[in-house]
Amino acid sequence: MKLYSLSVLYKGATKSNLLKAAFDLSSFSFFQRSSVQEFMTFTSALIVERTSQGTRASVKEQEYLCHVYVRNDSLGAVVIADTEYPQRVCFTLLDKNPREADAMTKVQAELDETKIILHNTMESLLERGEKLDDLVAKSEHLGNQSKAFYKTARKQNSCCEIM
Amino acid sequence: MSGTGSEVDVLVQRVVRDLSTALNRNRNIDEIGLIPCPEARYNRSPIVMVENKLGVESWCVKFLLPYVHNKLLLYRQRRLWLDRQALVDITCTLLLLNPDLTTAWNVRKELVECGALSPERDLYLGKLALSKSPKSPETWIHRRWVLLHLLQKAPPADQNQTDAERSRLLGEQLAQTLQQEMKVCADAACRYPSNYNAWSHRIWVLQRLAKGNVKVFLDELSSMRPWVSAHVSDHSGFHYRQFLLQELTGALAPPAGCSSNGERSAVEEPPHDLPAVQQLFCHELELVSDLIRSFPGHETLWSHRRHVFFLWHRWKEQHPGDGGDEGGDPAEGAQTRLSQTSAGVPMEVERGCSSDPQDIKRLRRGVPLPQPPTSQTEHVFVSGLLDGCGPEQRSFALAYRKWLDTVVGVPS
Repeated sequence: MKLYSLSVLYKGATKSNLLKAAFDLSSFSFFQRSSVQEFMTFTSALIVERTSQGTRASVKEQEYLCHVYVRNDSLGAVVIADTEYPQRVCFTLLDKNPREADAMTKVQAELDETKIILHNTMESLLERGEKLDDLVAKSEHLGNQSKAFYKTARKQNSCCEIM
Repeated sequence: MSGTGSEVDVLVQRVVRDLSTALNRNRNIDEIGLIPCPEARYNRSPIVMVENKLGVESWCVKFLLPYVHNKLLLYRQRRLWLDRQALVDITCTLLLLNPDLTTAWNVRKELVECGALSPERDLYLGKLALSKSPKSPETWIHRRWVLLHLLQKAPPADQNQTDAERSRLLGEQLAQTLQQEMKVCADAACRYPSNYNAWSHRIWVLQRLAKGNVKVFLDELSSMRPWVSAHVSDHSGFHYRQFLLQELTGALAPPAGCSSNGERSAVEEPPHDLPAVQQLFCHELELVSDLIRSFPGHETLWSHRRHVFFLWHRWKEQHPGDGGDEGGDPAEGAQTRLSQTSAGVPMEVERGCSSDPQDIKRLRRGVPLPQPPTSQTEHVFVSGLLDGCGPEQRSFALAYRKWLDTVVGVPS
């Protein structure tokens, strides 16, 4: 039951900007951590770019679940967790506004009525014809090492994680 | 990297040496990993040490692996002579890169048998290999061979030691080995979800090193509680708990007419601790109920519930009329009897408390044990959940109810 990253981004006109992020990568192999972190940033930015304002969504990719909320004022937040971490808790976290301290119950009630879009893969966020491989290759969030890691991971399917 | 054959030779020999040096210099390495690095930089060794982590840059693997593998095969075909140290280094390099090379493990078996390689050192290599490949079947299989070898090897006789002293030292050594194996399994289980190979190894170790040892089983049950609570879809972790429950019921209340373990005469015949068995099952059902409610929609939890309830149900059928729902104060009796069964066992494994602190408090206050589980109480649990639960949880709950009616049968 793991929470890997929490990122806050601003959804600009053409791309999203990372404002702040926190990571817990202790469960990953030591030498993979920097690549994993870059991928989580890449993924969070991509998700916010492809999510409309005023929307909540969950994107499943292999054994990761990314939960996103983009507010009407273009501020977005993404939580990347494993499939055991309860979805409700993630969205409560994303909605939290520290000024409304007693709003937890209010948020819970709102969540019950809120529609959360479910995506079964990252691919469903992309435009027709867009390939994830191309986006990875072009990304400025990913260093050369990470891009190389992505390529080898793609080749060795089954037990290897892409992120 | 282009180069003549001899350049590759020189490079590979240097890398093998660097690896061996790194392993010898630092005895606290706890993890190895491949560093994704497509090109060699400058003239630096691909072997990198950071804190206690050993990394191998990936660019060198395509030279290293075929070269070293080939050498080993030539040795095996008796076309090349390699001295023992070279064999140790080569197999070490090979297995850190690819731990499923049975030939390499077999060469190490020969080295262990002739005394050129200590079993402890070999287990250490296995532990490192598992940090990178936590499922590797060959690594686990080889590990069991080494452990058996360790168990059968008689420690050197020391005239100054009494028999009791020797027995105690042997017990300590066993306890240490057991602890170490539990740690290796736990780490591997964390690194890969539902790591069947790691958990089956864990079971194998308990069966060989802790047969009939109620204290060890209770400690394991207790220490695994937080783990399974944080890994609610790890089927193998819950299966381990089912194994522990089964062993405990066998040890605490064996079927009429036979003792739980005929081999170890050092263990006194365990008394029939029936209230303790009931307490075990109540406790386990409490745990799984709590998890089912907190983390809805995980099939593993429901599957575990089936197993637990079925074990209890079958045990009840074999022990009709026994159990904690009789009169008297079973609570205190259970606690004293539990501590009695662990006395006289030669192996002591120091861990935290052997029971949940809540239960100890409950027992001391003389609060009666919770009611024994029945089909009826199970039906109540399911009905309580069906209100306001999501579709997945609903379908699991209904399937469980159907199982209760079909397989378990008429409510007891």
